[in-house]
Amino acid sequence: MTRAVLLFVLLAGPAAAQGPEFTVSRVPLTGRETFLAVVIVAMMLCGLASFFLSGRVAARTQTAFAMFVVLIGGFALLVLFGGFIYDHPLAAIGLLFLLIGLFKLMNQFESARRGGDRTDGR
Amino acid sequence: MSQSPRSLYFVNWWIDAAAIGGLSIAAFVIARLLADGGTRAIELAQAGAILSVFVNYPHFSATIYRLYENPDSARQFPVTAYALPFVLLGAVAASLWQPALIAPYFVLLFLIWSPYHYSGQTLGITMIYARRAGFQVERWQRLALSTFVFSIFVVALAHRQQRTEPTTSHGVTLPPIPFPDWFAPVATAVMWAGAAVFLWFVVDWCRKHRRMLPPIVLLPAASQFIWFMPGMKTAAFYEFVPLFHSLQYLFIAWAMQISLQVGREGQERSWRAIRAVSMKWGLWNYAGGIALFIGLPWLFMWVSVPTATIVGVLIAAVNIHHFFVDGVIWKLRHTSSASPLMTNVTDLAAHPRPASA
Repeated sequence: MTRAVLLFVLLAGPAAAQGPEFTVSRVPLTGRETFLAVVIVAMMLCGLASFFLSGRVAARTQTAFAMFVVLIGGFALLVLFGGFIYDHPLAAIGLLFLLIGLFKLMNQFESARRGGDRTDGR
Repeated sequence: MSQSPRSLYFVNWWIDAAAIGGLSIAAFVIARLLADGGTRAIELAQAGAILSVFVNYPHFSATIYRLYENPDSARQFPVTAYALPFVLLGAVAASLWQPALIAPYFVLLFLIWSPYHYSGQTLGITMIYARRAGFQVERWQRLALSTFVFSIFVVALAHRQQRTEPTTSHGVTLPPIPFPDWFAPVATAVMWAGAAVFLWFVVDWCRKHRRMLPPIVLLPAASQFIWFMPGMKTAAFYEFVPLFHSLQYLFIAWAMQISLQVGREGQERSWRAIRAVSMKWGLWNYAGGIALFIGLPWLFMWVSVPTATIVGVLIAAVNIHHFFVDGVIWKLRHTSSASPLMTNVTDLAAHPRPASA
C-alpha cells in the first residue's frame, strides 16, 4: 500500500508540473454554437415565465409557455440536425412524423385540456 | 352544442358550395381544359398574385382581427396574443441574422406546416357542416376522415419531393427531401383506406336515416383531394390553391363575424346591419393584409439580406402566427365558437319573431 502511494506521488508530481490538460475554452463561438446559446436562453426564459406565473394564471396559459419550450427546442434540433435527412431517407420519414406531432401539439396551444382547467376561473 | 340550425347553409346552397370548394373544383376543370402552360401559366400566376391582395392577405388578417378585435378576446388567450408575436419576431431575427443557417429551416417548417394547416381546416369545416346536417361524427368516423384528409397532405408532400433538383422558394433554396420510394405508395394506400372507411360510415348513415347525406358535408374533403392530388399536376391551378383555402376561411370567418355582431341581443337584425358589419370587417382585413404582407417586410428592408429572403422569412412568420391563432380561436368545443357557427345569415336579416304568450 505504501509503495502504491509513493508510486502515485512520484508519477503525479511531474504530470502536475506540466500544467492542466483541460482548461476553460476561449475559442470564439461558431454561428451554430451562438444560435444554440440563444435557443437555450429562450428556452430558459420560457421555463422561468412558466415557473413564476404558476398559480397566478390559468393552467392553459402556463402550459403554453411549456409548449414554447418544445417548439423552440424542436426548431433548434431541426436547424442543427435537419441536414441529416438529406442523406438518410428513413430519417426524412421520422422527421415528417415528428413535425406532424409537433403541429398537432401546437394545435392544442393555449387551449383548455380535457379534464378541466382547474385554475381557469372563466 | 345541441343547437340545431334552421338551414344547412350559412347563406344558401350556391354561395356555400362555391366558397367551400365548388369554385375551386370548377377552376380545376377549367384549368385542365384550357391551361397550356408557358405564357398562360405566367399570366395566371400574375392573376393569382393580384387576387392574393383581396383574398389571401385578408384571410391572415381575419384571424388577427378576431383575436385583437376587443380586449376581452386578447385577454382570453394572453400567450397567443402578447407572447407569440415576440417568439416569432425572435425567429425572424435569427433567420435574418444567419440567413444561410436558419432561414432555410424556418421556411421549410412553414412549407410543411402549411398543408397540414389546410388539412386541419378541411376537417374543421367538414365538422361544421356535419353538425349542421345532423351527421354524428363520432370517434371512428373522425379517425377515418382525419386519416383520409391528413394522408392527402403526406402523399402530396412525398410526391412533391420526388424531384431531383433543389427548388428556390420564399428566398431560400431547399433540396428535395429524399423519402424512400415505397413511402408515397404506402401513404396513398392509407389515404384510400381512410376514404373507404369514412364512405362506409356515410353509406351506413344514409341507410339508417333513409336519406342522402347533403353533399356539402363531403365537399371540403373532396376539394382538398382535388387541390393536392390531381391539382398539383396542373400548375395553372395549383397556383390558386392558397386562394381557395383563403376563400373557405374568409367565408366561415365572415359568417362567424355576422353571427357575433348582428345576432347579439339588442342589435338590429337586417340586411343593412349585415352589410355594415361586412364592410367594416372587410375593410379592416384588407388593410390588415396589406400591412402584414407589404408593410411588415418593408420595415425590414434595411437588413443586408436579399429582399426575397426577407420577404420569404416574414411570410413564413405571418403564416406560422396564423396557424397558432387559428388553432386557439376556432376550437369548436368552445361554445362561444360553436354557437355562431350554427346560425344562418338569412335568419339574422329577419327581425326575431315576438315570443308567444
